[in-house]
Amino acid sequence: MKNFLKQHGLWVLFAAAVLSVSLAVMSVLSANASPLVNLTGVLVSPFRAGYTAVATWFNDLQNYYKDTTDLQAENAALRQQIAKMEETIRQAEADVEENKKFRELMNLTKQRRDLTDFEAAMVTEHAVSNWTSSLTLNKGTSLGIEAGDCVIDECGNLVGVISQAGTNWSTVLTLVDTDTSLGAQVFRTKDLGVAQGDFSMMRKNRLRLDYLPADSALLAGDIVVTSGLSGHYPSGLVIGSVEEVRLDDSGAASYAILDPAADFDALTEVFVIKSFEIVT
Amino acid sequence: MIARNETIFKWSLYAAATALCFLIQGSLLQRLVFWGVIPFLYPLLAAIPPTFEGPLAGTIFSLCVGAACDLLLPGPVPCLYTLVFPLAGLCAGLLSQSWLPAGFLCSFVSAAAAFLLHGSFRCLILWMRGTAAWQAGALVMVREFCVAAPFVIPLTLLYRSVFRRTHLDD
Repeated sequence: MKNFLKQHGLWVLFAAAVLSVSLAVMSVLSANASPLVNLTGVLVSPFRAGYTAVATWFNDLQNYYKDTTDLQAENAALRQQIAKMEETIRQAEADVEENKKFRELMNLTKQRRDLTDFEAAMVTEHAVSNWTSSLTLNKGTSLGIEAGDCVIDECGNLVGVISQAGTNWSTVLTLVDTDTSLGAQVFRTKDLGVAQGDFSMMRKNRLRLDYLPADSALLAGDIVVTSGLSGHYPSGLVIGSVEEVRLDDSGAASYAILDPAADFDALTEVFVIKSFEIVT
Repeated sequence: MIARNETIFKWSLYAAATALCFLIQGSLLQRLVFWGVIPFLYPLLAAIPPTFEGPLAGTIFSLCVGAACDLLLPGPVPCLYTLVFPLAGLCAGLLSQSWLPAGFLCSFVSAAAAFLLHGSFRCLILWMRGTAAWQAGALVMVREFCVAAPFVIPLTLLYRSVFRRTHLDD
């Protein structure tokens, strides 16, 4: 090497100088990259592209992994959010139904100022035997419910009367049960009678209106309400409507068959009238 | 002492089997309606065990079932089932002791007698209250028995397995 530099050093220096000057001149003369720079760039370009491609692929891979992880987390969060929203919607639907019932009840309370104290209760069980028509409620004496209290639906239609009350439960005998008997009045004619369950009609959800005056002229569709004469039950609660008027076995007296206004099979929530004022 | 333990074990098993039936009745059968009536298993519970255990033990067992029913179910009189079911148990016990050996046929006949007694008693109460409904009552009674009749088979198998489990030496 030393010998080489001694023998050819000057020539190398000269060549480097020539090359430098040439590059400088070419660079000054050409508008774009000089041919030598250009040549170098052309040669290196595929390598650059390859390196960039690999780097991009790696970067993409990294981004893909990051995005996937983020998306999975976001997806899980969204799913949870959807589940919560669906739950809220379900709750809202239930609340709307409940609100509707309470609104109807509020209207009833405004219309019926004599009904002073209600207790809302859920129906937990429908008829438990084929010989009675009863409902079991989830509220009892702990909330002031007592045997003999009237039970109505959200529209103010009479459902029945509490027959037994425990601490947190109570049993309602519906209007069509054979043990139910209450004073009734035909709204249109003001005729008085006794609405009572009849076993032969109980399975068809019908009851009788007995002891009608001899001159009563009932029509199908006449509304029958509680008379409230005994003072045990509030007056004016809708029992049902007259479906048919028949003569009894003796042929001397007539009785009406009533279609109850409350739909006992569809009831899920009822209201117990805990106290009321007697309207004279 | 051993005999007492065995007695306690036997009646505990009977009570457990009956409690299971009460659970099925309350949770499932009460919500189903076939031919216009709900399947009513309680008379079967008062009629089938006495066919295996005889008149005395059977009557006492049915009395307990009746008392439980009166506590659980609303009725026109507070002791309806306590009065009717021991009679049904006695009939079933006497039937299996004298005429029909305990088995499916005996259970079936005993169940029919239990439903007949229960239905008749109900109709009698309605009649005493001045709201006689013999025809409607008979119809409900027949329907109730027809709907409950298929349950005689599983209940007989259940109580027979209890009987066999607790009478290994017989």
